[in-house]
Amino acid sequence: MRVLIVEDDSSLSRSLVAEFEARGFKVLSAPDGREGQYLATEYPVDLAIIDLGLPEVSGIELIKSLRAASRDYPILVLTARDRWQDKVEALKIGADDYVTKPFHVEELIARADALLRRAGGWAQSELVCGPIMLDTRSQLVRLEGQQVELTSFEYRLLEYLMLHAGEVCSKTQITEALYDQDFERDSNVIEVFIGRLRRKLDPDSAFKPIETLRGRGYRMVLPRGAPEAR
Amino acid sequence: MSLQSLRARVLLWVSVALIVLFAITIVGLAVIFQRSSELALRDALQVQLLGLIAAAEESEDGELSLPDDPGLDLSLTVPESGVYGVIWDADGVPIWRSASWVGREWFVTQWPIPGERIYLTIDEGGLLELEALLMGIRWDFHDGSSLPYTFGIALAREPYLAREAAFRRNLIGWFAVVTVTMLIVLTIVLRYALKPLRRLVHEVGEIETGRRQVVTERLPSELTGLARNLNFLIDSERRRSIRYRNTLDDLAHSLKTPLASIRALLTDRGVDDEAKMRALDREVSRMDQRIGYQLRRARATGGTGLGLAPVALGPIVEDIVDTLDKVYRDKQVSCEFDIEAGARYQGDPGDLNEILGNLIDNAYKYCRKRVLVEVKSSVERVEIVIHDDGPGLPEDAEEAVIERGARADESIPGEGIGLAVVAETAELYQGSVRLGTSPLGGTAVRVILPRRGYRLEKKS
Repeated sequence: MRVLIVEDDSSLSRSLVAEFEARGFKVLSAPDGREGQYLATEYPVDLAIIDLGLPEVSGIELIKSLRAASRDYPILVLTARDRWQDKVEALKIGADDYVTKPFHVEELIARADALLRRAGGWAQSELVCGPIMLDTRSQLVRLEGQQVELTSFEYRLLEYLMLHAGEVCSKTQITEALYDQDFERDSNVIEVFIGRLRRKLDPDSAFKPIETLRGRGYRMVLPRGAPEAR
Repeated sequence: MSLQSLRARVLLWVSVALIVLFAITIVGLAVIFQRSSELALRDALQVQLLGLIAAAEESEDGELSLPDDPGLDLSLTVPESGVYGVIWDADGVPIWRSASWVGREWFVTQWPIPGERIYLTIDEGGLLELEALLMGIRWDFHDGSSLPYTFGIALAREPYLAREAAFRRNLIGWFAVVTVTMLIVLTIVLRYALKPLRRLVHEVGEIETGRRQVVTERLPSELTGLARNLNFLIDSERRRSIRYRNTLDDLAHSLKTPLASIRALLTDRGVDDEAKMRALDREVSRMDQRIGYQLRRARATGGTGLGLAPVALGPIVEDIVDTLDKVYRDKQVSCEFDIEAGARYQGDPGDLNEILGNLIDNAYKYCRKRVLVEVKSSVERVEIVIHDDGPGLPEDAEEAVIERGARADESIPGEGIGLAVVAETAELYQGSVRLGTSPLGGTAVRVILPRRGYRLEKKS
């Protein structure tokens, strides 16, 4: 998942970048509205976290320009102002959620996860495909109720595929979403991790959750299901 | 006296009005006087003419003539008296001329037929201007014959003109005196009438210098509203500054305890880093909570500005619900409105947003699926009730959250901050907040905001 963070306070920005990267996100960061605008329009982004009080171009202006340019990924607003009028305005112009400063990074990440999940069409924090259940809050994965141990990268890969369940995800898309932009694109790495996921989730090749479409990418083929159904 | 002064304005306009009014009156009266003096002149001509006709008689030689002492008006006999008489025969030859008629000819251009009267003005440059009356008479002689004659009387216009001029002069003089007197009286009246205003200005000056608390409201009825609004403004300004000071005090004090804990933590060697981090985080959260609470309290204005327009409540509720629907999208809350059409409240938009935002946010947070926002509007007040179908609040919540919060107590639980801020904001409008059980099963928070004019008089 590629996250854009536009925050002018350098130490807060640095901490956020570190925290998001540690959780397997790929992060773009900008110290002001102008650079934020450039990154937001030039790179594929899954989620933007935008501070409202930015130099150059204000957060509100940035959000407006992104929505005007049909960038429809979720936008999470950071603000030191907690007046209702400010919150209402930010959401009215196209933001999807707000977090007021100061906040706990865990809370911010939970909100970011929720927005990504919703953008993938999931209403709940637990993503369920067939017997696989992925809880975005606790970051635990269960297979028929049994917890499965995944590495951070494997978890992100599975989350990405499940968020896009039913859709074809190309290797480039996956690489871009999970790695830094200057990562040398060795498609074998994705193949290796897909192989590991298959072994961990379907050791007996019983329900083949991940389909390979030659030359096109991968697809989570298990139908989306509500968690209550399990 | 500049035109900014009320007195100057009143005096200027009254003077203009009086001058216009009197000018019209003077012209009107002069015209009326002129007409009546014209009529008087004609009457005098008639009287003289009839006198002349009466005096005329048939002479022994059968001619028309006037006797030697005809008993006429004396002025006809005094030369240049201003009263002149002439009698012409049928050929236009004067047969008689009054003794007053000296050194002047009467050239008649139009002869009257018998029985006809002709009024005319004789104005021959340089000579006395005359008003004249000619009358044709057919005279019946004793021998049965009759002959036409023309009788003429002329009166000098000069005395009449002089009287008219004197009348006009008098008129203007008297009106000038009346105008000046009225302006003097008006100045005195204004001085007296504007006295309360001067007193008000003086009292405001005293308030500025701190020698006075409020302006006296014992004023003429036209000014009591102003004085009351002024006192309202002064009072709310004073209360606001007291509130700011208290907020600042409370804030500074409430931050000192967590700061002291942090400082103690820094030098505490008996605690490991992990525990220090947790403690630090706890203290930072405490500080954040207090700053948030005090800031939100301080921000509430209580609608003290005099120029506040009534705010429509429906759109505010809709905006907030749209916002919360986005934020709580996963929860799929069904929010219903029962908002009286066109419900408005004359308050600060920021305050109303805070009240509605905090309450509806709490309802979304604690509800299971349903929220109901009711707004009822009456002449006296606006009543806002927010229902949810959540677990409800404990019995002592009202005391714990609202009353303690309103006293700026330090120990407000995190979730109660919103409600405490709502309670304090409502109190600034002399309103109230009550918690109860909703028919939906959860909490019903009822906020009552009295309208301006229905608030209790409250002295700070």
